[in-house]
Amino acid sequence: MSTAAWDKAAPWVVGGISVACVIAAWEIAGVAELPVTTVLPPPSQFMAMVIESDFRIGLGSQSATLWESLTATFVRVFGGMLLAFVAAIITGAAISLSRFTTWCISPFLYLLAPIAPIAWIPTAIVVFGINNATAIFIVFMGVYFILTIGTLAEIRRVPAEYGTVAGNLGASRWQQWLFVVMPAILPGVFTLLRTNFIAAWMAVLVAEMVGLRDGLGAIIMMGRNLFNNELIMFGMLVIGVSGFIVDRSLALIGNRVLWWRV
Amino acid sequence: MEVVSESHESVFRLDNLTVNFPGQSGPVPSPLQGLNLDIRANEITTILGASGCGKSTLLRTLGGFVLPEDTGGVLYKKQFLTGPTTDIVMIFQENNLYPWLTVKGNVGFGLRFRKNAPKDLNKSVADMLSNVGLADAARAYPHQLSGGMRQRTAIARALITRPQVLLLDEPFSALDISLKRRMHSLIHKLQDETDISMVMVTHDVEEAITVGDRVLVLGGNPAGVLVDADARGPEMRDRYSKEYLNLQKEIEEVIF
Repeated sequence: MSTAAWDKAAPWVVGGISVACVIAAWEIAGVAELPVTTVLPPPSQFMAMVIESDFRIGLGSQSATLWESLTATFVRVFGGMLLAFVAAIITGAAISLSRFTTWCISPFLYLLAPIAPIAWIPTAIVVFGINNATAIFIVFMGVYFILTIGTLAEIRRVPAEYGTVAGNLGASRWQQWLFVVMPAILPGVFTLLRTNFIAAWMAVLVAEMVGLRDGLGAIIMMGRNLFNNELIMFGMLVIGVSGFIVDRSLALIGNRVLWWRV
Repeated sequence: MEVVSESHESVFRLDNLTVNFPGQSGPVPSPLQGLNLDIRANEITTILGASGCGKSTLLRTLGGFVLPEDTGGVLYKKQFLTGPTTDIVMIFQENNLYPWLTVKGNVGFGLRFRKNAPKDLNKSVADMLSNVGLADAARAYPHQLSGGMRQRTAIARALITRPQVLLLDEPFSALDISLKRRMHSLIHKLQDETDISMVMVTHDVEEAITVGDRVLVLGGNPAGVLVDADARGPEMRDRYSKEYLNLQKEIEEVIF
Protein backbone atom coordinates (compact mmCIF):
# COMPACT_ATOMS: atom_id res chain seq x y z
CA MET A 1 0.00 0.00 0.00
CA SER A 2 1.39 3.42 -0.94
CA THR A 3 2.04 6.04 1.73
CA ALA A 4 -0.78 8.24 0.47
CA ALA A 5 -3.26 5.34 0.45
CA TRP A 6 -2.17 4.32 3.95
CA ASP A 7 -2.52 7.92 5.23
CA LYS A 8 -6.09 7.87 3.94
CA ALA A 9 -6.96 4.43 5.26
CA ALA A 10 -5.07 4.59 8.57
CA PRO A 11 -7.73 6.36 10.68
CA TRP A 12 -10.33 3.79 9.61
CA VAL A 13 -8.05 0.77 10.01
CA VAL A 14 -6.64 1.81 13.39
CA GLY A 15 -10.06 3.02 14.57
CA GLY A 16 -11.66 -0.27 13.46
CA ILE A 17 -9.01 -2.34 15.24
CA SER A 18 -9.45 -0.23 18.37
CA VAL A 19 -13.23 -0.79 18.39
CA ALA A 20 -12.75 -4.52 17.65
CA CYS A 21 -10.36 -4.85 20.63
CA VAL A 22 -12.85 -3.21 22.99
CA ILE A 23 -15.68 -5.45 21.74
CA ALA A 24 -13.45 -8.53 22.08
CA ALA A 25 -12.55 -7.58 25.67
CA TRP A 26 -16.23 -6.95 26.35
CA GLU A 27 -17.22 -10.35 24.98
CA ILE A 28 -14.46 -12.06 26.98
CA ALA A 29 -15.81 -10.34 30.10
CA GLY A 30 -19.26 -11.69 29.19
CA VAL A 31 -17.99 -15.26 28.76
CA ALA A 32 -16.15 -14.93 32.09
CA GLU A 33 -19.45 -13.70 33.59
CA LEU A 34 -17.87 -10.70 35.24
CA PRO A 35 -20.43 -8.79 37.38
CA VAL A 36 -20.12 -5.66 35.25
CA THR A 37 -21.68 -7.49 32.27
CA THR A 38 -24.98 -7.67 34.13
CA VAL A 39 -25.31 -3.90 33.67
CA LEU A 40 -23.32 -3.81 30.43
CA PRO A 41 -24.30 -6.99 28.55
CA PRO A 42 -21.92 -7.70 25.64
CA PRO A 43 -23.01 -7.13 22.01
CA SER A 44 -23.58 -10.84 21.27
CA GLN A 45 -26.15 -10.91 24.08
CA PHE A 46 -28.17 -7.78 23.26
CA MET A 47 -27.93 -8.25 19.49
CA ALA A 48 -29.25 -11.82 19.84
CA MET A 49 -32.21 -10.48 21.80
CA VAL A 50 -33.05 -7.85 19.19
CA ILE A 51 -32.61 -10.23 16.22
CA GLU A 52 -34.82 -12.75 17.98
CA SER A 53 -37.58 -10.14 18.28
CA ASP A 54 -37.16 -9.31 14.57
CA PHE A 55 -35.93 -5.78 15.45
CA ARG A 56 -39.31 -4.94 16.97
CA ILE A 57 -38.96 -3.11 20.25
CA GLY A 58 -41.59 -2.65 22.96
CA LEU A 59 -44.74 -4.36 24.07
CA GLY A 60 -48.12 -4.70 22.36
CA SER A 61 -49.55 -1.65 20.62
CA GLN A 62 -46.66 0.54 21.83
CA SER A 63 -44.06 -1.55 20.06
CA ALA A 64 -42.21 -0.18 17.05
CA THR A 65 -39.67 -1.51 14.60
CA LEU A 66 -36.12 -0.20 14.73
CA TRP A 67 -36.73 1.47 11.37
CA GLU A 68 -39.79 3.34 12.76
CA SER A 69 -37.80 4.51 15.78
CA LEU A 70 -34.92 5.70 13.59
CA THR A 71 -37.28 7.51 11.23
CA ALA A 72 -39.09 9.23 14.11
CA THR A 73 -35.82 10.50 15.63
CA PHE A 74 -34.33 11.57 12.28
CA VAL A 75 -37.47 13.46 11.25
CA ARG A 76 -37.35 15.37 14.54
CA VAL A 77 -33.65 16.13 14.54
CA PHE A 78 -33.41 17.09 10.86
CA GLY A 79 -36.69 18.99 10.96
CA GLY A 80 -35.44 21.07 13.90
CA MET A 81 -32.01 21.58 12.39
CA LEU A 82 -33.39 22.61 9.01
CA LEU A 83 -35.75 25.13 10.61
CA ALA A 84 -32.92 26.47 12.79
CA PHE A 85 -30.60 26.74 9.77
CA VAL A 86 -33.13 28.69 7.70
CA ALA A 87 -34.12 30.87 10.67
CA ALA A 88 -30.47 31.62 11.52
CA ILE A 89 -29.74 32.69 7.93
CA ILE A 90 -32.86 34.89 7.84
CA THR A 91 -32.00 36.42 11.23
CA GLY A 92 -28.42 36.99 10.11
CA ALA A 93 -29.66 38.74 6.97
CA ALA A 94 -32.10 40.89 8.93
CA ILE A 95 -29.45 41.89 11.46
CA SER A 96 -26.74 42.60 8.90
CA LEU A 97 -29.04 44.66 6.68
CA SER A 98 -30.64 46.85 9.35
CA ARG A 99 -29.28 48.43 12.51
CA PHE A 100 -32.81 48.80 13.89
CA THR A 101 -33.37 45.03 13.55
CA THR A 102 -30.02 44.44 15.27
CA TRP A 103 -31.13 46.52 18.24
CA CYS A 104 -34.48 44.69 18.40
CA ILE A 105 -33.23 41.12 18.05
CA SER A 106 -29.78 41.09 19.68
CA PRO A 107 -30.98 41.21 23.33
CA PHE A 108 -33.19 38.16 22.80
CA LEU A 109 -30.39 36.25 21.10
CA TYR A 110 -27.93 36.72 23.92
CA LEU A 111 -30.56 36.28 26.69
CA LEU A 112 -32.01 33.05 25.31
CA ALA A 113 -28.83 31.42 23.98
CA PRO A 114 -27.54 30.25 27.40
CA ILE A 115 -30.78 28.41 28.23
CA ALA A 116 -30.27 24.66 27.73
CA PRO A 117 -32.78 23.12 25.28
CA ILE A 118 -33.91 20.64 27.94
CA ALA A 119 -35.24 23.57 29.98
CA TRP A 120 -37.77 24.23 27.21
CA ILE A 121 -39.32 20.75 27.41
CA PRO A 122 -42.07 21.52 30.01
CA THR A 123 -43.11 24.66 28.11
CA ALA A 124 -43.02 22.82 24.77
CA ILE A 125 -45.20 19.98 26.09
CA VAL A 126 -47.76 22.49 27.39
CA VAL A 127 -47.77 24.45 24.12
CA PHE A 128 -47.49 21.67 21.53
CA GLY A 129 -48.53 18.58 23.47
CA ILE A 130 -46.63 15.29 23.34
CA ASN A 131 -45.88 14.99 19.64
CA ASN A 132 -43.28 15.64 16.95
CA ALA A 133 -43.70 19.41 17.16
CA THR A 134 -42.38 19.36 20.74
CA ALA A 135 -39.23 17.47 19.77
CA ILE A 136 -38.65 19.65 16.70
CA PHE A 137 -39.08 22.74 18.86
CA ILE A 138 -36.55 21.46 21.41
CA VAL A 139 -34.01 20.77 18.65
CA PHE A 140 -34.72 24.18 17.13
CA MET A 141 -34.12 25.93 20.46
CA GLY A 142 -30.94 23.95 20.99
CA VAL A 143 -29.46 24.96 17.65
CA TYR A 144 -31.00 28.27 16.56
CA PHE A 145 -29.33 30.72 18.97
CA ILE A 146 -25.84 29.27 18.69
CA LEU A 147 -26.20 29.09 14.92
CA THR A 148 -27.44 32.67 14.65
CA ILE A 149 -24.59 34.02 16.76
CA GLY A 150 -22.20 31.96 14.64
CA THR A 151 -23.84 33.22 11.44
CA LEU A 152 -23.28 36.82 12.55
CA ALA A 153 -19.60 36.03 13.22
CA GLU A 154 -19.36 34.49 9.74
CA ILE A 155 -20.93 37.59 8.19
CA ARG A 156 -18.34 39.77 9.94
CA ARG A 157 -15.58 37.58 8.48
CA VAL A 158 -16.64 38.20 4.86
CA PRO A 159 -13.95 40.43 3.29
CA ALA A 160 -15.26 43.97 2.77
CA GLU A 161 -13.96 43.89 -0.81
CA TYR A 162 -16.52 41.21 -1.74
CA GLY A 163 -19.42 43.55 -1.06
CA THR A 164 -17.60 46.56 -2.51
CA VAL A 165 -16.88 44.72 -5.76
CA ALA A 166 -20.49 43.52 -6.09
CA GLY A 167 -21.88 46.98 -5.33
CA ASN A 168 -19.45 48.47 -7.80
CA LEU A 169 -20.69 46.07 -10.47
CA GLY A 170 -24.27 47.20 -9.85
CA ALA A 171 -25.62 44.83 -7.18
CA SER A 172 -28.17 46.32 -4.79
CA ARG A 173 -27.74 45.68 -1.04
CA TRP A 174 -30.22 42.83 -1.23
CA GLN A 175 -28.44 41.35 -4.26
CA GLN A 176 -25.11 41.68 -2.46
CA TRP A 177 -26.57 39.64 0.39
CA LEU A 178 -28.06 37.01 -1.88
CA PHE A 179 -25.17 36.58 -4.32
CA VAL A 180 -22.15 37.41 -2.16
CA VAL A 181 -22.69 37.26 1.60
CA MET A 182 -24.91 34.18 1.49
CA PRO A 183 -22.55 31.95 -0.53
CA ALA A 184 -19.59 33.34 1.42
CA ILE A 185 -21.03 32.32 4.80
CA LEU A 186 -22.74 29.05 3.80
CA PRO A 187 -19.73 26.74 4.34
CA GLY A 188 -18.98 28.24 7.76
CA VAL A 189 -22.61 28.13 8.87
CA PHE A 190 -22.90 24.54 7.65
CA THR A 191 -19.80 23.59 9.68
CA LEU A 192 -21.44 25.20 12.71
CA LEU A 193 -24.59 23.24 11.98
CA ARG A 194 -22.55 20.06 11.88
CA THR A 195 -20.83 20.79 15.19
CA ASN A 196 -24.23 21.59 16.69
CA PHE A 197 -25.66 18.32 15.40
CA ILE A 198 -24.42 16.59 18.56
CA ALA A 199 -26.32 19.14 20.68
CA ALA A 200 -29.43 18.64 18.53
CA TRP A 201 -29.06 14.87 18.74
CA MET A 202 -28.83 14.98 22.53
CA ALA A 203 -31.76 17.39 22.76
CA VAL A 204 -34.06 15.14 20.74
CA LEU A 205 -33.04 12.04 22.70
CA VAL A 206 -33.79 13.79 25.98
CA ALA A 207 -37.15 14.95 24.59
CA GLU A 208 -37.92 11.36 23.58
CA MET A 209 -36.85 10.04 26.98
CA VAL A 210 -38.95 12.40 29.06
CA GLY A 211 -42.04 12.90 26.94
CA LEU A 212 -42.43 11.09 23.64
CA ARG A 213 -43.23 7.41 23.40
CA ASP A 214 -41.25 6.60 20.28
CA GLY A 215 -37.84 7.25 18.79
CA LEU A 216 -34.36 6.11 19.82
CA GLY A 217 -34.50 7.93 23.17
CA ALA A 218 -37.71 6.08 24.01
CA ILE A 219 -35.92 2.72 23.50
CA ILE A 220 -33.60 3.59 26.39
CA MET A 221 -36.53 4.59 28.59
CA MET A 222 -38.39 1.41 27.68
CA GLY A 223 -35.31 -0.60 28.69
CA ARG A 224 -35.17 1.24 32.00
CA ASN A 225 -38.86 0.69 32.71
CA LEU A 226 -38.61 -3.02 31.86
CA PHE A 227 -35.26 -3.44 33.72
CA ASN A 228 -33.94 -4.68 30.38
CA ASN A 229 -30.22 -3.87 30.15
CA GLU A 230 -29.95 -5.53 26.73
CA LEU A 231 -32.49 -3.08 25.35
CA ILE A 232 -30.67 -0.12 26.94
CA MET A 233 -27.35 -1.22 25.44
CA PHE A 234 -28.95 -1.79 22.02
CA GLY A 235 -30.52 1.69 22.16
CA MET A 236 -27.16 3.22 23.04
CA LEU A 237 -25.46 1.34 20.19
CA VAL A 238 -28.03 2.50 17.62
CA ILE A 239 -27.79 6.10 18.90
CA GLY A 240 -23.98 6.05 18.68
CA VAL A 241 -23.83 4.46 15.22
CA SER A 242 -26.59 6.71 13.81
CA GLY A 243 -24.93 9.83 15.20
CA PHE A 244 -21.59 8.76 13.75
CA ILE A 245 -23.06 8.10 10.29
CA VAL A 246 -24.93 11.41 10.23
CA ASP A 247 -21.85 13.33 11.37
CA ARG A 248 -19.70 11.72 8.64
CA SER A 249 -22.41 12.40 6.04
CA LEU A 250 -22.58 16.06 7.03
CA ALA A 251 -18.78 16.29 6.90
CA LEU A 252 -18.85 14.77 3.42
CA ILE A 253 -21.47 17.27 2.24
CA GLY A 254 -19.42 20.10 3.74
CA ASN A 255 -16.25 18.96 1.99
CA ARG A 256 -17.78 18.11 -1.39
CA VAL A 257 -20.58 20.64 -1.85
CA LEU A 258 -19.63 23.61 0.34
CA TRP A 259 -15.87 23.25 -0.07
CA TRP A 260 -14.76 26.87 -0.41
CA ARG A 261 -13.41 29.09 2.37
CA VAL A 262 -13.31 32.89 2.38
CA MET B 1 -25.97 67.69 -7.38
CA GLU B 2 -24.11 70.88 -8.13
CA VAL B 3 -23.08 71.29 -11.78
CA VAL B 4 -19.65 72.79 -12.33
CA SER B 5 -17.79 73.52 -15.56
CA GLU B 6 -15.10 70.95 -16.33
CA SER B 7 -12.18 70.68 -18.68
CA HIS B 8 -13.20 68.78 -21.85
CA GLU B 9 -10.34 66.30 -21.62
CA SER B 10 -10.72 65.46 -17.95
CA VAL B 11 -12.38 62.34 -16.71
CA PHE B 12 -11.92 63.52 -13.12
CA ARG B 13 -11.35 66.95 -11.75
CA LEU B 14 -10.29 67.17 -8.13
CA ASP B 15 -11.56 70.44 -6.79
CA ASN B 16 -10.14 71.37 -3.38
CA LEU B 17 -10.34 67.69 -2.38
CA THR B 18 -10.14 67.15 1.36
CA VAL B 19 -10.57 63.74 2.96
CA ASN B 20 -10.82 63.14 6.69
CA PHE B 21 -11.49 59.81 8.36
CA PRO B 22 -13.90 59.41 11.26
CA GLY B 23 -12.12 58.93 14.58
CA GLN B 24 -13.25 58.41 18.16
CA SER B 25 -12.23 61.93 19.18
CA GLY B 26 -13.12 63.76 15.99
CA PRO B 27 -12.08 63.53 12.34
CA VAL B 28 -8.59 62.22 11.55
CA PRO B 29 -7.11 64.16 8.62
CA SER B 30 -5.69 62.25 5.66
CA PRO B 31 -2.82 63.76 3.62
CA LEU B 32 -5.43 64.87 1.08
CA GLN B 33 -6.20 68.43 2.15
CA GLY B 34 -7.34 70.81 -0.56
CA LEU B 35 -5.86 68.86 -3.49
CA ASN B 36 -6.55 70.19 -7.01
CA LEU B 37 -5.83 67.99 -10.01
CA ASP B 38 -7.18 67.02 -13.41
CA ILE B 39 -7.06 63.38 -14.53
CA ARG B 40 -7.36 63.11 -18.27
CA ALA B 41 -9.79 60.86 -20.10
CA ASN B 42 -8.93 57.91 -22.36
CA GLU B 43 -5.43 57.39 -21.07
CA ILE B 44 -3.66 55.48 -18.32
CA THR B 45 -2.67 57.61 -15.34
CA THR B 46 -0.35 55.98 -12.83
CA ILE B 47 0.01 57.38 -9.32
CA LEU B 48 3.17 56.79 -7.32
CA GLY B 49 4.15 57.86 -3.86
CA ALA B 50 5.65 56.74 -0.59
CA SER B 51 3.50 54.71 1.83
CA GLY B 52 0.95 56.86 3.60
CA CYS B 53 1.04 59.66 1.03
CA GLY B 54 -2.68 59.26 0.35
CA LYS B 55 -2.57 57.59 -3.07
CA SER B 56 -4.85 54.69 -2.15
CA THR B 57 -7.22 57.09 -0.40
CA LEU B 58 -7.22 59.18 -3.55
CA LEU B 59 -8.08 56.13 -5.66
CA ARG B 60 -10.91 55.13 -3.33
CA THR B 61 -12.22 58.68 -3.45
CA LEU B 62 -12.18 58.56 -7.26
CA GLY B 63 -14.27 55.39 -7.02
CA GLY B 64 -16.75 57.03 -4.68
CA PHE B 65 -15.90 54.59 -1.89
CA VAL B 66 -14.55 57.36 0.34
CA LEU B 67 -16.52 60.57 0.56
CA PRO B 68 -14.60 63.83 0.85
CA GLU B 69 -15.44 66.87 2.95
CA ASP B 70 -18.06 69.04 1.29
CA THR B 71 -15.62 71.92 0.84
CA GLY B 72 -14.78 70.35 -2.52
CA GLY B 73 -14.72 66.95 -4.12
CA VAL B 74 -14.26 64.84 -7.20
CA LEU B 75 -15.98 65.99 -10.35
CA TYR B 76 -16.95 63.21 -12.70
CA LYS B 77 -19.02 64.09 -15.77
CA LYS B 78 -19.39 67.62 -14.40
CA GLN B 79 -20.98 66.42 -11.17
CA PHE B 80 -19.55 65.81 -7.74
CA LEU B 81 -19.29 62.10 -6.98
CA THR B 82 -21.49 61.18 -4.05
CA GLY B 83 -20.86 57.44 -4.00
CA PRO B 84 -19.80 54.47 -6.13
CA THR B 85 -21.19 54.26 -9.64
CA THR B 86 -21.18 51.41 -12.13
CA ASP B 87 -19.37 53.71 -14.59
CA ILE B 88 -16.25 53.54 -12.43
CA VAL B 89 -15.05 50.05 -11.54
CA MET B 90 -12.24 49.33 -9.14
CA ILE B 91 -9.89 46.35 -9.02
CA PHE B 92 -8.34 45.64 -5.66
CA GLN B 93 -4.99 44.09 -4.79
CA GLU B 94 -6.69 41.00 -3.39
CA ASN B 95 -10.08 39.47 -2.54
CA ASN B 96 -11.35 40.40 -5.98
CA LEU B 97 -12.73 37.02 -6.94
CA TYR B 98 -15.48 34.95 -5.39
CA PRO B 99 -14.05 31.53 -4.49
CA TRP B 100 -17.34 29.68 -5.05
CA LEU B 101 -17.57 30.80 -8.68
CA THR B 102 -15.56 29.55 -11.63
CA VAL B 103 -13.59 31.97 -13.79
CA LYS B 104 -16.57 32.09 -16.13
CA GLY B 105 -18.95 32.72 -13.24
CA ASN B 106 -16.75 35.47 -11.84
CA VAL B 107 -16.39 37.22 -15.19
CA GLY B 108 -20.14 37.11 -15.88
CA PHE B 109 -21.01 38.05 -12.29
CA GLY B 110 -21.65 41.77 -12.88
CA LEU B 111 -23.77 41.27 -16.00
CA ARG B 112 -26.75 39.93 -14.06
CA PHE B 113 -27.16 43.33 -12.42
CA ARG B 114 -27.03 45.30 -15.68
CA LYS B 115 -30.23 46.30 -17.41
CA ASN B 116 -28.38 46.75 -20.71
CA ALA B 117 -26.48 43.46 -20.43
CA PRO B 118 -25.76 41.72 -23.74
CA LYS B 119 -28.39 39.16 -24.75
CA ASP B 120 -25.96 36.33 -25.23
CA LEU B 121 -24.15 36.37 -21.89
CA ASN B 122 -22.23 33.17 -22.58
CA LYS B 123 -20.79 34.56 -25.80
CA SER B 124 -19.87 37.86 -24.15
CA VAL B 125 -18.09 36.03 -21.34
CA ALA B 126 -16.33 33.68 -23.78
CA ASP B 127 -15.17 36.64 -25.92
CA MET B 128 -13.87 38.49 -22.88
CA LEU B 129 -12.08 35.39 -21.59
CA SER B 130 -10.27 34.89 -24.87
CA ASN B 131 -9.42 38.59 -24.90
CA VAL B 132 -7.54 38.23 -21.62
CA GLY B 133 -6.13 34.80 -22.53
CA LEU B 134 -8.25 32.78 -20.11
CA ALA B 135 -10.43 30.79 -22.52
CA ASP B 136 -8.90 27.50 -21.36
CA ALA B 137 -9.41 28.34 -17.68
CA ALA B 138 -13.15 29.13 -17.89
CA ARG B 139 -14.14 26.23 -15.65
CA ALA B 140 -11.34 26.66 -13.11
CA TYR B 141 -11.94 28.05 -9.62
CA PRO B 142 -9.89 30.96 -8.25
CA HIS B 143 -7.79 28.74 -5.95
CA GLN B 144 -6.66 26.80 -9.01
CA LEU B 145 -5.32 29.93 -10.73
CA SER B 146 -1.97 31.70 -10.59
CA GLY B 147 -1.83 35.27 -9.26
CA GLY B 148 -1.69 36.66 -12.79
CA MET B 149 -4.67 34.62 -13.92
CA ARG B 150 -6.65 35.82 -10.91
CA GLN B 151 -5.96 39.45 -11.73
CA ARG B 152 -6.75 38.87 -15.40
CA THR B 153 -10.08 37.40 -14.30
CA ALA B 154 -10.75 40.47 -12.15
CA ILE B 155 -9.88 42.77 -15.06
CA ALA B 156 -12.11 40.77 -17.42
CA ARG B 157 -14.98 40.97 -14.94
CA ALA B 158 -14.59 44.72 -14.72
CA LEU B 159 -14.25 45.31 -18.46
CA ILE B 160 -17.18 43.12 -19.49
CA THR B 161 -19.54 45.61 -17.85
CA ARG B 162 -18.09 48.34 -20.14
CA PRO B 163 -17.16 50.90 -17.48
CA GLN B 164 -15.99 54.40 -18.38
CA VAL B 165 -13.14 54.28 -15.87
CA LEU B 166 -11.06 51.45 -14.46
CA LEU B 167 -9.32 52.04 -11.13
CA LEU B 168 -6.51 49.67 -10.19
CA ASP B 169 -5.17 49.57 -6.63
CA GLU B 170 -1.69 48.01 -6.79
CA PRO B 171 -3.16 45.12 -8.80
CA PHE B 172 0.11 43.44 -9.69
CA SER B 173 2.12 43.94 -6.51
CA ALA B 174 1.94 40.26 -5.57
CA LEU B 175 3.13 39.02 -8.98
CA ASP B 176 6.64 38.09 -10.04
CA ILE B 177 8.46 40.33 -12.49
CA SER B 178 7.80 38.34 -15.66
CA LEU B 179 4.11 37.99 -14.89
CA LYS B 180 3.97 41.68 -14.06
CA ARG B 181 5.37 42.61 -17.44
CA ARG B 182 2.88 40.38 -19.22
CA MET B 183 0.10 42.06 -17.27
CA HIS B 184 1.45 45.48 -18.28
CA SER B 185 1.22 44.48 -21.95
CA LEU B 186 -2.31 43.25 -21.38
CA ILE B 187 -3.33 46.55 -19.77
CA HIS B 188 -1.95 48.45 -22.80
CA LYS B 189 -3.74 46.12 -25.21
CA LEU B 190 -7.06 46.46 -23.37
CA GLN B 191 -6.75 50.24 -23.14
CA ASP B 192 -5.99 50.47 -26.87
CA GLU B 193 -9.03 48.32 -27.66
CA THR B 194 -11.51 49.96 -25.31
CA ASP B 195 -10.10 53.49 -25.00
CA ILE B 196 -11.36 53.66 -21.41
CA SER B 197 -9.69 55.84 -18.79
CA MET B 198 -7.54 53.97 -16.30
CA VAL B 199 -6.03 55.15 -13.04
CA MET B 200 -3.53 52.85 -11.38
CA VAL B 201 -1.86 53.23 -8.00
CA THR B 202 1.48 51.49 -7.61
CA HIS B 203 4.64 51.43 -5.50
CA ASP B 204 6.73 50.32 -8.43
CA VAL B 205 8.47 53.11 -10.37
CA GLU B 206 9.15 50.87 -13.37
CA GLU B 207 5.51 49.83 -13.52
CA ALA B 208 4.31 53.41 -13.25
CA ILE B 209 6.46 54.56 -16.19
CA THR B 210 6.02 51.57 -18.50
CA VAL B 211 2.25 51.33 -17.97
CA GLY B 212 1.26 54.98 -17.58
CA ASP B 213 0.61 57.54 -20.30
CA ARG B 214 0.96 60.03 -17.50
CA VAL B 215 2.81 59.52 -14.22
CA LEU B 216 1.87 61.46 -11.11
CA VAL B 217 3.98 61.38 -7.97
CA LEU B 218 2.13 62.33 -4.80
CA GLY B 219 3.96 63.46 -1.70
CA GLY B 220 4.14 65.89 1.18
CA ASN B 221 1.62 66.63 3.86
CA PRO B 222 -0.76 67.99 2.79
CA ALA B 223 -0.24 65.94 -0.33
CA GLY B 224 0.65 67.64 -3.57
CA VAL B 225 1.72 66.49 -7.01
CA LEU B 226 5.55 66.42 -6.92
CA VAL B 227 6.01 65.06 -10.43
CA ASP B 228 3.56 65.20 -13.34
CA ALA B 229 5.24 63.55 -16.30
CA ASP B 230 4.12 62.56 -19.77
CA ALA B 231 5.12 58.94 -20.21
CA ARG B 232 3.67 58.28 -23.67
CA GLY B 233 5.62 56.80 -26.52
CA PRO B 234 7.69 53.71 -27.22
CA GLU B 235 10.80 55.16 -25.56
CA MET B 236 9.00 55.07 -22.19
CA ARG B 237 8.24 51.37 -22.67
CA ASP B 238 11.95 50.67 -23.15
CA ARG B 239 13.53 50.41 -19.71
CA TYR B 240 16.99 51.12 -21.14
CA SER B 241 16.08 54.25 -23.12
CA LYS B 242 17.49 57.61 -22.08
CA GLU B 243 14.02 59.10 -21.64
CA TYR B 244 12.89 56.26 -19.40
CA LEU B 245 16.02 56.40 -17.25
CA ASN B 246 15.80 60.18 -16.91
CA LEU B 247 12.21 59.99 -15.72
CA GLN B 248 13.02 57.11 -13.38
CA LYS B 249 15.86 59.16 -11.87
CA GLU B 250 13.64 62.21 -11.47
CA ILE B 251 10.94 60.20 -9.71
CA GLU B 252 13.33 58.32 -7.46
CA GLU B 253 15.01 61.53 -6.35
CA VAL B 254 11.62 62.86 -5.30
CA ILE B 255 10.37 59.72 -3.60
CA PHE B 256 13.47 58.39 -1.86
